[in-house]
Amino acid sequence: MTQAREHEFQPVVGREKRLADARALVEAIENEDTPAEAQLIGELTAAYSGNIFDEVGRMTREVHDTLKSFAEDERLGVLAEDEMPDARDRLRYVITLTEQAATRTLSITEDATPTAEQIVDRSQRLKDELAKVAASEADNARLGGVVESMSRYLDSATTCGERLKGQLTEIMMAQEFQDLSGQLLMRVIDLLEQLEEKLVGLLQITAPVRGAKAEDGKSAPAERAEDGVGPQLPSAGDNVVKNQDDVDDLLASLGF
Amino acid sequence: MDRNMKILVVDDFSTMRRIIKNLLKELGFTNLEEADDGQTALPLLKQGNFDFLVTDWNMPGMTGIDLLRAVRADPELVSLPVLMVTAEAKREQIVLAAQEGVNGYIVKPFNGATLKAKIDKIFERVES
Repeated sequence: MTQAREHEFQPVVGREKRLADARALVEAIENEDTPAEAQLIGELTAAYSGNIFDEVGRMTREVHDTLKSFAEDERLGVLAEDEMPDARDRLRYVITLTEQAATRTLSITEDATPTAEQIVDRSQRLKDELAKVAASEADNARLGGVVESMSRYLDSATTCGERLKGQLTEIMMAQEFQDLSGQLLMRVIDLLEQLEEKLVGLLQITAPVRGAKAEDGKSAPAERAEDGVGPQLPSAGDNVVKNQDDVDDLLASLGF
Repeated sequence: MDRNMKILVVDDFSTMRRIIKNLLKELGFTNLEEADDGQTALPLLKQGNFDFLVTDWNMPGMTGIDLLRAVRADPELVSLPVLMVTAEAKREQIVLAAQEGVNGYIVKPFNGATLKAKIDKIFERVES
């Protein structure tokens, strides 16, 4: 036994009695008097066990008090039953808002793309028709000049229409953020849900009267690559590909 | 490559389904259908004479990797070309998808040029 433990467990029986018991024990062992030996060991142990029981009792009270104060902390109940579900609702609402915004943007780009295509098609058709007119009226110099400047305008309209189409595609692709941010937010919502469940479970154990509503026994599953783990953050490590080139390199190394 | 081929786009986010469908339309594909996870996609595939499957990975219900496995396990669908377009970017995931028989893998965010390049490559191989 260490020094520290000798201090913790002071014997409750006097030194003289313990010495006498110890000597009697040695004698009993020497005489092979087993019943006496057992009885003396019991007496020597009893000199300490009273204190061990006190100590266990004290520790039990401490655990009890801690759990009681945990259960009585109103703040934890509010956190688990109101604020965490509320935080989840807010995050879900963020997903809804970004989805609405992305859908609205997509509808507009889908509407605008045929308009840009029309500008391109019609400008090209008109330019062809003008060229035919100019050819049949080749001797009309004034008409030739007008056709020339109109053709230049129609060329620039075609270029603008093409550029517009490309820009509309870019705007459409930018809406991809909604999927990625939505997936990340859903992971946070999931985490909050698990945390909330654990907290409610703990509160239920410590204070069954509180009437918490979570189902128990639903343990949090560990993240599995099989199930998909969602978009990786830019700070993720080497285990994560950083761009499409990395994906292509990896697949190439597998014989793709 | 047949521009009239029937393509199924599977993603749980409607925004992403719409983006992929629009990109495919720009590439000249018009015969497009969609589903929001593997569970709804599989019956469509089994009855629908699809020529090409574009799927996300992380979806509720049935994930894209399980859909891929189901497709490869079905004698009718075993040779259906499958392209994954997903935010799942862990090396082990890409390796797993390759082992399960994916034909192409695109990591989000992506762009139209990447989609076109991968589709071209897939059908170059399928047709050769």
